[in-house]
Amino acid sequence: MTVSALTRPGERDRLIVKFGEIDWVFCLALFMIAGAGALMLFSVAGSSWEPWAAKHLLRFTLCFLMLVFLAMVDIRVWFAIAYPVYAIGLLLLVAVEAIGDVRLGAQRWLSLGPFSFQPSEIMKIGIVLALARFYHGLSADRAKLSWWLLIPAAMLGVPVLLVAHQPDLGTAMLIAMTGGAIIVLAGLSWRIILGGILAAAVAIPPFVLFVMHDYQRKRVLTFLNPESDPSGSGYHIMQSMIALGSGGLLGKGYGLGSQSQLNFLPEKQTDFIFATLAEEFGFVGCVSVLALYAGVIFMGIRAAYVSHSHFGRLAAAGVMATFTLYVLINGAMVMGLAPVVGVPMPMLSYGGTVMVTVMIGFGLVMSARVHRYSEITSGKGTLL
Amino acid sequence: MAEPAIFFQEVNERQGAFHRRAFLMGGFAGAGLLALGGRLAYLQLFQTQRYEKLSASNQFNFKLMPPPRGLIIDRNGVVLASNRPNFRLLVSRDKDMDVPATLKTLAQFVPLDDKRQARLLRDIDNAPRRSRVEIFEDMSWEQFSAIHLRTPAMRGVSADMGEVRVYPHGGAFSHVIGYVAKVNKDDLTPTGPNSEPIMLNPGFRIGKQGIEKALDLDLRGRPGAQKVEVDANGREVRHDSEGDIAAVPGQEVQLTLDADVQMRALEVFGEESGAAVMIDCRNGDILCMLSAPSFDPNRFVRGLTGAEYRQLANYERKPLLDKCLSGTYPPGSTFKTMTALAALEAGVDPESRVMCGGGMQFGGRYFRCHKKEGHGPQNMRDAIKNSCDVYFYTVAHRIGPDRIAKVAREFGFGQTFDIGIPGQKKGIVPSTEWVRKNRKHDPKWHPGESLSYGIGQGMLTANCLQLAVMTARLANGRKALNPRLIRSVGGKELPSGAAAPDLPFSQEHINYVRAGMAAVTEAGGTAFRASQLGLGDILMAGKTGTAQVYSYKAGMPRGKGGPWRLRDHGLFVAFAPLDEPRYALAVIVQHGMGGSTAAAPRAREIMRVALLKDPEIRARVEKPLPVPEMPVDPEADELPEAPTPIEAMNTTAAAPAFGPGKLA
Repeated sequence: MTVSALTRPGERDRLIVKFGEIDWVFCLALFMIAGAGALMLFSVAGSSWEPWAAKHLLRFTLCFLMLVFLAMVDIRVWFAIAYPVYAIGLLLLVAVEAIGDVRLGAQRWLSLGPFSFQPSEIMKIGIVLALARFYHGLSADRAKLSWWLLIPAAMLGVPVLLVAHQPDLGTAMLIAMTGGAIIVLAGLSWRIILGGILAAAVAIPPFVLFVMHDYQRKRVLTFLNPESDPSGSGYHIMQSMIALGSGGLLGKGYGLGSQSQLNFLPEKQTDFIFATLAEEFGFVGCVSVLALYAGVIFMGIRAAYVSHSHFGRLAAAGVMATFTLYVLINGAMVMGLAPVVGVPMPMLSYGGTVMVTVMIGFGLVMSARVHRYSEITSGKGTLL
Repeated sequence: MAEPAIFFQEVNERQGAFHRRAFLMGGFAGAGLLALGGRLAYLQLFQTQRYEKLSASNQFNFKLMPPPRGLIIDRNGVVLASNRPNFRLLVSRDKDMDVPATLKTLAQFVPLDDKRQARLLRDIDNAPRRSRVEIFEDMSWEQFSAIHLRTPAMRGVSADMGEVRVYPHGGAFSHVIGYVAKVNKDDLTPTGPNSEPIMLNPGFRIGKQGIEKALDLDLRGRPGAQKVEVDANGREVRHDSEGDIAAVPGQEVQLTLDADVQMRALEVFGEESGAAVMIDCRNGDILCMLSAPSFDPNRFVRGLTGAEYRQLANYERKPLLDKCLSGTYPPGSTFKTMTALAALEAGVDPESRVMCGGGMQFGGRYFRCHKKEGHGPQNMRDAIKNSCDVYFYTVAHRIGPDRIAKVAREFGFGQTFDIGIPGQKKGIVPSTEWVRKNRKHDPKWHPGESLSYGIGQGMLTANCLQLAVMTARLANGRKALNPRLIRSVGGKELPSGAAAPDLPFSQEHINYVRAGMAAVTEAGGTAFRASQLGLGDILMAGKTGTAQVYSYKAGMPRGKGGPWRLRDHGLFVAFAPLDEPRYALAVIVQHGMGGSTAAAPRAREIMRVALLKDPEIRARVEKPLPVPEMPVDPEADELPEAPTPIEAMNTTAAAPAFGPGKLA
C-alpha cells in the first residue's frame, strides 16, 4: 500500500491496517526476552517445566494477546478513560489504607472475593494516563513554569505518599520517577529540574537516617557494605555477585550454575533471575539480553516520537520510562550497585503482576503508534 | 509499508521540546544500560576468578577424615595397639526433621532404650546445626547395612565406617601404652597442633596416657579430606572422589617390650598387686614393665561411665596407678647389695666376720635380725646369702649414710630416666645433706637411722624401675646402663642404653657382690627353692627383700597377716644367666609378705619365659641326646644298617613260624 492510500479517510481505521501498524520487531524482542525467561525458569526448577517455566510462557502468551487487543483500541479511548482509571486507583489506595490485608508485614493487598491484587499496580498505569491527559491540554509555556504545575505535583504527590505509607518505598519511588519523567518531558523549566535534583540529593541522607523504616535503612546500609553482614541482609547481594562473577565470559553452561542449582542464590526465579542467567550464560548471555532490552526501550521511545498527539507521546514515553526504570534498577540491584528493593526484571522474572502491568503499558504504547495520526481535540473531555 | 518518519517537517513547540527531551531520556537509558554493561564486564571479566573461588567455596566443603593412627609394636613386631573398623551411626539436626521420631525409628535397628534416647535428644539439640552427633557405634555389619540401605529415606541420618583403637593384649600393656579417648575441653590449645579442626571431629581420638599421649603427634598422622558438594542448607549432594586429599597415616612406634614376657608377668601376678620390670643388661632395653592389677584400655576408648571409673579409682589395689614408675616402696633387703658395695669401696674387709645373735642394741633401741636365733658369725658373702640384718646394721653404722647414698645414686636411685613417658617418682635417697635440706624440724642425722638405711628401710624409697636399673647395672658390671623403652619411631631408632659412662667402682668389688647374689640362689640361700629355673646349667642370681610397711607394735601380727595394707612388701631382684648375664629383673609384690615366698617364684616364671625366648640360651638348654655308639667295620663294602628290633630278633632266635617265605 502506498502512503497516499493510508491518507484516505477511514483507511487507517481498518483493522487489518491497524494490525499491520503494530511494531512487530518490538513484539519479536518481547518474545525473545520472555523466551529467555522461560529458559532460565526451566533451568532453575531443576530442568523442569514446573512450577515456573510453563506458567510463565502461558502468562506471556495471554498477555501478548491482551497487548494486541489493547493496541487496536483507539488512542482516543485511552484518552477518555485516563482520569477514571486514575480516580479508581486513588480510591483503591485509600481503601487499602483503611481495610487492606497485611501480608508480609506490609499493607499492600486488597481482597475482593477470590481475587487479591495490589492497587499500586493500577496506579502505575493510572498516573501515566492522567498526567499525559493533563499535559495534553496544557500549553508549552504553562508546562514550563506556572502555577498550573501545582496540579500535576498534587496528582503525583498524593498517590506517591499513599504508597510510601503502605510501606512500599520501592513502588512509591518508581511512580514518583515515572511521573517526574513525564513532567520533564512535558517541558518543565530546566532551572526547576536542576533545583529538584539538588534538593533530592540533599534530602537523601537525612531521609535514610530518620524517615526510613529500620528494615529499609538496613537494606541501604548493607548495600553500601555487603560484606558486613554476609549471612544476613548482605547475603542476597553477595550471592548475586558471586553468581554473576563466577559466570565469566561464557557462563558455566545451561543447567550447571551452582549458585542457583544448589539454592545459594535466593529469589532465583524472581528478583535475581538475571543473576541466574549471568551464571549460566556468562557475559555474552547478559549482554545479549541487555541488548534486547535496549531494543525494546528504543523502539518504545520511537513509538512515542512518531505520535502526533501530545497525549500519545507522553503516555508512551511514560510507559517506557517505567519500563526503563524496572530494567535499570533490577540490573543495578543484581550487580550490587543498588540496595535490594524488590524490583523484578520484567518479562524475565516469574511473577504475574509486573508482567500484566508492563504488557498493558506496551498495549498503550502500541496504540499510540498505531493511532499516531489520530487527533485529540479540545472538545473531547480535556481539562480545559 | 514504509516506516513512519521520526522527524517532522513542521514541528510545534511542544513537539520540539518533547523530541529534545525524549532524546535525552533515550540517552540516559542508553547510558544506564552501558553502565550496567560496564559493571558486568568488571564482575565477569576482571573479577571472575575471585567470584569463581567464592562460588566454589559455597559449593564444596572439605570434610575432614581422621587419619589412621600409627601402630605400636613390641620388639619382635607383635602388635600391641592397632586400629579396627568401627561402624558408626550419626544423626545431624536438619531443618524439617522430626528428631524424636527418627530416634524411635532407629531404635528398631540398634538398641536405644528410652533413657538413652532422651539423652541423645538433648545432645542433638545442643549440637551446632548440621554437625553430626554419634548416637551409636560399633554396629555389626548387619546393623550397618540395614541402616545404610535406608539412609536416603531418613533425613539427617548417616552411617559411616571409622576406625577405632584396639589393644589386643588388653590389660598387659595398659600402663605403658595408655589409651586414647575422645577430645575434651582440656585437650584443646589455642595454638599449635592441638588447635586444629580435626580435634573437633566426632571420630577423632587423642592419647590420654602413656605412650599414646607422649608420642601422640607422631602416632597421629595428618588428616585427609573428602571433597563434597553441598547445597545452601549444608546438605551433602555429591561426593567428588577426585578432589579427595589422602590422609597421612601416623608413624609406627616400636617398643623394647616383649609381649610374651609381659603377658606372663601379668599372669603370674594373678590377684596380687605389684610391679615387675625386666631390663636387658647388655643394652638397657626394657623387656617388661608391668603394673598389677591392671585395667582394660579398650573400655577407655569407648568411654567409661562415671560408675565404672569410680570403681577402678576406688579399688584398694589401685589398678590405675603405674606401680613401676609412680609407686615408691622401701627396697628392704634388696638394697643390701648397695650397702655391701659401699662398704667394700670404703675399705671394709669382706672376710671380717660379724657376730649375729638375733639382734643388736643400739642407742636405746633393740634392732632385730629377721632370724630370731641369729645367724652366727657372718662374712659379707654369708650376710648377703642369708640376708643377715645385724651384719648390715654394723657395716652401715661404720661407713655412714653418705657413702651408701653415693653408691645408691650411681646405681640409679633417686633419679628419673628418660624413657619417653612421664610419671616417674624419684623416690628418696637419704643422706646428711638431704636431711639438712628436707627435714626442717630435725635437720641432723641420727646414727640409728644409718642402721635402718643399711637394710633398705627408713626414709629410703625407690620405684620398681630403679630397682631393675640397679640390678641391670650390677649384672652388667661395667656400664651405668640407661633404660630404654622406645626402640624406634617411624623407623628412626633411638640411642641405645649402653651408650653410658662406666660405673666408678672397682671391678673386683662388683664381682664380689655379684657372687653374693649367686649364693642367695644356692642351697642355703634365702631364695634357693624359689629360684630354680629348671633350665639345666642356666642359673639365676638374685636378692630377696621384705620391706616393712610400718613399725611393728607388740601384740600385732608382724607384717605377715592382718589387714592387707599393713602387710610387708615382698621384693626380689635377679639376673640370669649367671655366667653371662643377659636379663635383670625386679619384682615387687605389694603387701605380699615375703620376698622369697611371694616375689621370687614370680620372678622365676618371668625369667624363664625371657630366657627360653632367647635362641642362644635355648640352644644351651636344648642339648641334643647322645648318639648310641656303633662299631664300624672298616672292611665292609656297605654301611651296616642300623639294627631294628625285629631283625635283631631274627638273627638271635629261631625263625618264627610266621617268618618271611613261610606263609602258605
